[in-house]
Amino acid sequence: MKRRGKFPWFAYLVVILGGVAMVMPFLDMVMSSFKGPGEYGVIPYKLLPESFNLDNYRDAFSQLELGRLFRNSVIVTVSVTISVLITSSMAGYALAKLRFRGRAVIFRFILATMMLPPFLLLIPTFLIMLNWPLAGGNDILGRGGDGGLTTSLISLILPFTVSGFGIFLMRQFMVSLPDEMLEAAKIDGANQWQTWRLIVLPQTKPVAITLGLITFIGTWNEYIWTLLISSSDPDLQTLPVGIQLLQSFLDPDRTMPIVMAGLVISTLPVLVVFLLFQKYYVRGVVLSGLK
Amino acid sequence: MTTAVSRVGAVAAPARRVGKLHREGLAAYLFLSPALLFFCVFLILPFLFAIVLAFSDWGGFDLSTLKWAGFSNFGDVLSFDGTFVKPILVNTLLFAFGSVFLATFGSVLVAYCIDRLSFQGFWRVLYFLPVVATVVAIGNVWKMMYQPAGLINAVLNKLGVNSVGFLSDSSYALPSVTVVHAWASIGGAVLILTAGLKAIPEMYYEAAEVDGANSWHMFWSITLPLLRPALLFVLITQFIGGLQSFALIIVMTGDGGPVNATNVAAFEMYQRAFKFGAWGTASAMAMVLFVIILAITLLQLWIARRRGEETS
Repeated sequence: MKRRGKFPWFAYLVVILGGVAMVMPFLDMVMSSFKGPGEYGVIPYKLLPESFNLDNYRDAFSQLELGRLFRNSVIVTVSVTISVLITSSMAGYALAKLRFRGRAVIFRFILATMMLPPFLLLIPTFLIMLNWPLAGGNDILGRGGDGGLTTSLISLILPFTVSGFGIFLMRQFMVSLPDEMLEAAKIDGANQWQTWRLIVLPQTKPVAITLGLITFIGTWNEYIWTLLISSSDPDLQTLPVGIQLLQSFLDPDRTMPIVMAGLVISTLPVLVVFLLFQKYYVRGVVLSGLK
Repeated sequence: MTTAVSRVGAVAAPARRVGKLHREGLAAYLFLSPALLFFCVFLILPFLFAIVLAFSDWGGFDLSTLKWAGFSNFGDVLSFDGTFVKPILVNTLLFAFGSVFLATFGSVLVAYCIDRLSFQGFWRVLYFLPVVATVVAIGNVWKMMYQPAGLINAVLNKLGVNSVGFLSDSSYALPSVTVVHAWASIGGAVLILTAGLKAIPEMYYEAAEVDGANSWHMFWSITLPLLRPALLFVLITQFIGGLQSFALIIVMTGDGGPVNATNVAAFEMYQRAFKFGAWGTASAMAMVLFVIILAITLLQLWIARRRGEETS
């Protein structure tokens, strides 16, 4: 790579300038989260706060109810991630390694599911959740009641339990696993379920980390659906939605600094997870982008 | 003895294979069952429901009161007296085009430069940070930076430029949110483009160097043509993403204001449905946007297929 042209001072200039533009908003976020009442929103603008005290963080926990939001975020994200991993690897295994009638059709169908944009299904999915049979007081036809499934955290989990992209990613990876390995397991008397559990799953660890990470970050940051579901039931708010909606209840001359503190707290977990596993994330994006 | 066994085996084999295949098929469908069940309930059913709703009049609650309305919802939505075509659909296209243009231009430049530096992993992660952050964080931080007392106006004032009301002035509001969307999507594009650049064989550049080409020549006649598949992928996916993205707009402007200046199609659909309960109108809007996106997707598949024929 070193041979492409002379010393790349121009390249450094571009990448560093762009890098500053990438980091600056986050720096502003962190610095603002320490600013006191007289320091935020005043001219002239100062980047640095006068002191690094944790008042805003303390108030974020009490006034934004971060503990409650955190709990919801963790429950939803962990449930969705585990579910996507299991369903994707099951379906991926069938599509990659088992011969059956309709395999090609089902695989094409799953590719097609990835092309349906989420906003198109937003309204009908909401209505389906609202009229879910035998939930929230509904009868067997989904009538009556007071909100079907929309009154529980299940409504934030269920519509995301399977991912077409996840199935596709798993299948692409599993196709390259050697057939001999599976044959050997069968000769040893393992049935399909055991073969998948004991032989295939351990082999798919790298792609599982990739898919788990993409799902984790996507679910942790999910906004529109949660905003919609929790609009009638604030108990279901997750971190991003709660921090956005609870702003109006904050101390007016300290609103933004407290919000920034809340956002720093809510961004940290994903940031740490991403930095630990970023190699896998990068590979997933590239895998799905360049076939 | 052995021959006898093998002959028996040969006779029995077809029957056994049919049995095995049958069992394998059963197992396969069991493995696929959670996914197939999910797609029936959360994909096929809502998709059909979305189509039905777009062609009907319905006040909500009781499905028996649903009335067939033909194309009247589409007539309402697409009439030029309404707000949907202009400014909303126009805003949507401007927002998508603008952010794609900025993000692609920026990511090509950055990816090409990163490719010539050391610590490439570090730079890639740096540009990827906004992709990891929630839209609420991004939207609020930029909203703060756009304020009269915010970071950006402070920099402008230092340069002797008067403060700009980025989000309050209706002529600046849409470009302002477009910039944020582009900023947030550069990271993903950089990732894909750097992978594309890695795939270009070094010897092309070496040969060009022998012929006395400078870096600009190399970029123009080697890098860009060979990067075309990755670039096309980035362009199309970002454009489709831009057409349907509205979380950032909710967070930054609250209502698509000032006066619809930042209102986009998917957001209008959301408001119509969940604020006013106009299910039919909202579903027709969703359909219109979906058809636009579908056309772009099919174009992408067609281009990819044609390129496949060229190379094979």
